[in-house]
Amino acid sequence: MARYGMALDYKNCINCKACEVACKEENGVELGAEKHRIWVGGNNPDGQWPLLDIASAAFMPSQCQHCEDAPCQEVCPTNATYYDENHVVRVDAEKCILCSYCMNACPYDARYVDDRTMTIDKCTFCSDTRLARGETTTACQNTCPTKVRTFGDLDDPNSEISELLRTRDHFSLKAHLGTNPKLFYLT
Amino acid sequence: MKIGPLNIPIKEDFSFKSILDFEKTPLNIFLAVSVLAMLAMFAIGVITYLIHGHHAYGVTREHPWGLLIAVYIFFVVSSTGFCIVGSLGDVFGFKRFEMISKRAIFGSIVTIMAGFAVIAFEIGHPVTMLIYNVLTPGLTSAIWWMGTLYGLYLTFMIIEFYFLLNNDMKKAKIFGLTGLLVGLAAHSNLGGVFGFLNARTISNGVYYPTYFILTAFITGIYLSFIVMGFRYKLNFDQKVKDLLEGLAKIQGLLIAILFFFMTWKLLTDMYGGMPNRAEVAHHMLHTAPFWAEVIFAMLIPFLVIVKDFGRSPKLMVFASLIGMVGIFFMRYNLVHDTQVKPLQMMKLTEYQLPPEWIEYFPSATEIMISLGGLGLCIALYYVGTKAFDLDESH
Repeated sequence: MARYGMALDYKNCINCKACEVACKEENGVELGAEKHRIWVGGNNPDGQWPLLDIASAAFMPSQCQHCEDAPCQEVCPTNATYYDENHVVRVDAEKCILCSYCMNACPYDARYVDDRTMTIDKCTFCSDTRLARGETTTACQNTCPTKVRTFGDLDDPNSEISELLRTRDHFSLKAHLGTNPKLFYLT
Repeated sequence: MKIGPLNIPIKEDFSFKSILDFEKTPLNIFLAVSVLAMLAMFAIGVITYLIHGHHAYGVTREHPWGLLIAVYIFFVVSSTGFCIVGSLGDVFGFKRFEMISKRAIFGSIVTIMAGFAVIAFEIGHPVTMLIYNVLTPGLTSAIWWMGTLYGLYLTFMIIEFYFLLNNDMKKAKIFGLTGLLVGLAAHSNLGGVFGFLNARTISNGVYYPTYFILTAFITGIYLSFIVMGFRYKLNFDQKVKDLLEGLAKIQGLLIAILFFFMTWKLLTDMYGGMPNRAEVAHHMLHTAPFWAEVIFAMLIPFLVIVKDFGRSPKLMVFASLIGMVGIFFMRYNLVHDTQVKPLQMMKLTEYQLPPEWIEYFPSATEIMISLGGLGLCIALYYVGTKAFDLDESH
């Protein structure tokens, strides 16, 4: 039993999108720009030339936040969305009725329809692929050239992620919504 | 009257032939052809959906709920409205409204059936829903409560209608009251489906669960004017006039309350300082469907009512038709405005601007299935008028 989370040193992101490709390859995610479990977001720099705020244009890699209090889980009418033994938010495709309520409820736009199964799909922290094979990293973490992502057990005080969260300032996305995300952005 | 299966009183002359037998006025022929066309569209829409799935719809990752959800809400609101109006007489004992009870309860059955017919082609796996709704119920989900309670509600409405047909007013009252309470619970849960969305600040909160009940009553009264207008071909006797005047007066009050609700909703949205909410409210104010809702569903019927305190039933029938167009926009706006603000505010692909507002327009398939739902509703109602005596029993 673990409580998996991920820390993102997002300022190191160079927007190479290798994580998006690795995720699709490892987890067999459908092709197409709309079908993604993870993504790298970008902003246009604030201000007007020549007074551009370059720092505001940082890249922001993201995915399902695996919230402790996940709105998508609360609204699921058939409990198709559930927390697995490692506190990872998963979808049981057999129970999913494709009502799309979770897509509307997720504050992070982390869910999409898998057209092959006609059910909702999302990031699983590679639970049924890499973790099931006994590996300890996710595909996106493993491939990242600038080591943005650190995946691990938040309950293990000796894990790399616990060490990072102890020693570095960090924030969560849309923390005011009370979803208690398990993705932490290091500052 | 002859007694059909399960002791259901059916009109003596009811047969397939009697369904085709109607007064051949231009309006009736136009209506009949329209309904047939809508049913044909339903078939085409459903076949297209079965072949292409949700690709046949205009819905996207960012706007997963489209026209069919709005139309489903439109029908179930109509059903709850009919149920409330029907209950005035047979549950609460207001003599003046008793003459519409049977018709309204029948209306509540056909409208919710049309709603279910539409939503069956929006939910990806309706059969799975029936199974896992029972096996692994999501009790924290407003959709679970809404769906389950609406299923119960339909059962109670059918039982109530059965007793109304058999003139067993005591049992009709018991099932009517139970059905009404379950229906109100179901309907406020439908508002809760939106009210629970904490990611969508424009909809989050207590407003929709209560507003849904108010607008259901308003919708029920519009529909009552329409069905009574057709029943009496606008030649109302004094008793019907009394009924309609009473309904119009209630409607005037309800619309006034709705104006009050909406004004405060908009004021708190725009000036409440909640992140994202003010932007969406301002955006709404600059869209045509919002003004269609205000003018058609509220303003025009309200002016017709206040003109002479509801003493123009004929005019109110036409105002109610306009009102129902407005009610459709009300449902459409609710669904669209909930989703109009993107949750992902960054650009995800190159050579793209960060998203500002989510665009959505219904596809032809969605429009066909929606019109088909309307056709189904009218057709079922028409068959009901041929099969059952929906007038007040003496």
